[in-house]
Amino acid sequence: MNIARQIAGGAFRFRAYATAAYVPPASLEGMQRARPPPIKPKPESPTFYSGRANYYDQLLALEDAAKQTKHALQELQLLPLPRFAQQNLPPLQAVWKNKDDLAEIMEANLTTSRYRRLIGQLNQLNEYRRLAEVAGHMDLAVRIQHILEMFERENKDAILARGKSKPVKFDQYGRTYTVGRRKESTARVWTIAVQPSADEQAGSSSTTPAQGELAAPVSTPQESLLPSQPATGIPGFTSGPLSLAPAPIKVPTTNILVNGMPLVDFFPHLIDRERVVRPFRIAGLLGAYNVFALVRGGGSTGQSGALALGIAKALAAHVPEVEPMLRKAKLLKRDPRSVERKKTGRAKARKAYTWVKR
Amino acid sequence: MSLVTALRSGRIAHAPAATLAPASAITLQSRGYAAPAKPAQKTASKFKSNKNKDKDKDKRGPRDSGAFRPMSVTNLTHPVFQSEQRTQLKLPVFRPEAITATAATKAMAFPHEESRALKAYGLPRNILVDYLLLAKPCSVVRQVTVDMLDQLDGAAASSSKDNRIVLTGKAGSGKSYLMLQAVQYCIQKQWLTLYIPRAISLVNSSTAYAYDARTQTYGQPAFAQQLLKRFADVNAALLQSLTVQNSYPLEDRTVPTGAPLADLINVGAEFQNYAPTVLNAMLDELALQTKYPVLLAVDDFQALYCTSQYRDPFFRSVKSYHLMLPRALLEFASGKKTLARGAFLGALSMQDTKYRPPLELIEALGLEPLGPSNPYVPRLPELVEYAKGLKNFPVPEQLTVDEAASIYDVWQQSKALHIPLADEMFLAKYTEANGNAGRFVKHGLLETVAM
Repeated sequence: MNIARQIAGGAFRFRAYATAAYVPPASLEGMQRARPPPIKPKPESPTFYSGRANYYDQLLALEDAAKQTKHALQELQLLPLPRFAQQNLPPLQAVWKNKDDLAEIMEANLTTSRYRRLIGQLNQLNEYRRLAEVAGHMDLAVRIQHILEMFERENKDAILARGKSKPVKFDQYGRTYTVGRRKESTARVWTIAVQPSADEQAGSSSTTPAQGELAAPVSTPQESLLPSQPATGIPGFTSGPLSLAPAPIKVPTTNILVNGMPLVDFFPHLIDRERVVRPFRIAGLLGAYNVFALVRGGGSTGQSGALALGIAKALAAHVPEVEPMLRKAKLLKRDPRSVERKKTGRAKARKAYTWVKR
Repeated sequence: MSLVTALRSGRIAHAPAATLAPASAITLQSRGYAAPAKPAQKTASKFKSNKNKDKDKDKRGPRDSGAFRPMSVTNLTHPVFQSEQRTQLKLPVFRPEAITATAATKAMAFPHEESRALKAYGLPRNILVDYLLLAKPCSVVRQVTVDMLDQLDGAAASSSKDNRIVLTGKAGSGKSYLMLQAVQYCIQKQWLTLYIPRAISLVNSSTAYAYDARTQTYGQPAFAQQLLKRFADVNAALLQSLTVQNSYPLEDRTVPTGAPLADLINVGAEFQNYAPTVLNAMLDELALQTKYPVLLAVDDFQALYCTSQYRDPFFRSVKSYHLMLPRALLEFASGKKTLARGAFLGALSMQDTKYRPPLELIEALGLEPLGPSNPYVPRLPELVEYAKGLKNFPVPEQLTVDEAASIYDVWQQSKALHIPLADEMFLAKYTEANGNAGRFVKHGLLETVAM
């Protein structure tokens, strides 16, 4: 009977769906069962059975968050975004942790495809965050940022700041210190705005009409080389500012000192001097700034090129509006060209020895 | 030596052609390196008329520095020259009345009829090149011009002992132009003016020299003759009223006391061998007379203190103060001889590296020495003597913006530039030259290709 029961029980247990023997309920009432099956602990999440619980937890959490955020943004009517708005959003700059770091966090191996899927979700969330930030919903943006922070690198700011130069500092006199390099030469450039002289400042603040009339020079028409400019007041006006002779304008000039010598003495060749003055011409700041520079290394072309770069950087710092102009003129670019090395089997970098037929 | 080698070396180049012809016919080759020297053609002397000679001379223009000379307007017929739209360069005329304090920074043209000095005496090379390009000989009156002309006005009444001025300054600062303005001013103010624009040509052995046993110095007859002619040409009106105060016996004639000074000058202008003596005599006479003030103006003044390129019969270099005219100029410069009324004006030239101002002159003028100046560096006592008492008149190395603007205007109005007329271009060139006038014009305006 035990065997039959066992067989019956076994059949019942293992093949309950197939051929379960009919046992009337009344006879089962007094039956003693075997010990109850052990209660298994319920897994925290359904991803337990996936074998990569951590990974799928994270992924599902991110997907959830993405779904909720999308819903929220749709309610705020920020999604879908028209094309022109999409194009004008500020650029995304994401620095996610790499595969190994994320694997460490998740305490599991991460294959490339799974990593990519994760990063895909992170990028999606990052886009929603940008949208919320640009639209001004800072609380939403901050909440998304909390989620994303865990996946970003610690040195994110340092990485994003790579390639960007430090802002040029002004000292207590209003001078900038910039450095320019070209070939083997280095130029250290101190730039300061031209100070208006004391008499100009006094003159500009107080010009009485009496002084103006006395200052008008007695000149014949023959002597004025530019007849369009009247040396006296405009005829027909007896009073008011137009009856006065125009005050002579003191034109400020740019002085450039290189290693203590004036530019014209340090660079005897005209082309070098033109190269140095070019940033002023393109920026339209001739006469606005004075320059003192120390140059070292290389020859005249390298030194003049380095000086030009230093001056361009200084002008961009003093007057930020001219930076796009200087950039377009390639004056803010450090010329990477340098002397090409000599190669073995050649006389010089490119020059080859005479080809001999035999 | 064989005939062939002799032919090649040209030793029998003068042999009659008849003996050479049969032997050389076999050995002559057509290749240049092997061709023998051609024997000189001996022709019977023919009478050559002088008719054709003079025609060639007329075609050649006056000697100039080799720079181009502009064509006359009548030759410019192509429409691109726009000859119909030519306008005269209108500038105020350089006259003593116009040189006032307000005249500074104005460009003024030298008067055409009285600019004989420019043509007669010649010009320094850099100024000459400028005037070949400009429409008119002109210059910009600067504040330093007004100052210097004021000084010359003060010198008109006093002796030259107190008025020995040397213009100094960096290369390109405008010393030669300033001197030219002073010369023009003095000519118009009825001074007797002697102007030597290139004193380097006195000492660089470019003119003949001859030893004079009486003075134990070397004279330069050709140069002296030319100078006398030019002096007579420029100062003709004033010389009419001057007479000689001493008598000057020459080899075959004597110029007695009381004779017109023009006669003395004509003797030297006519006879080259008397010219150096006559020139010295003339300078002495000018120093004595008090009717007109005298200006002795010497550009490239430092060349008078350098050793000349001449050689004596023992091949030793002839010192500059052993040449008659430089010696006379040095004596007036140092105050050993003085003009009763007038001034001595010199201008240093920093361009020529073969004739740099020597240490003695630099120290006398108080300039910064170019080389070592420690006590062990030799200083010739003669040169120290000749440099005593010279007054340094520094020319500012930077033009003011207004002066530079006047120069820029003159060049633009002459239509001599290929660069656009614009404030920005002007300021850029001014900045590149750091205000140096020479660099501003030569490099900034004429040589630039940056647009």
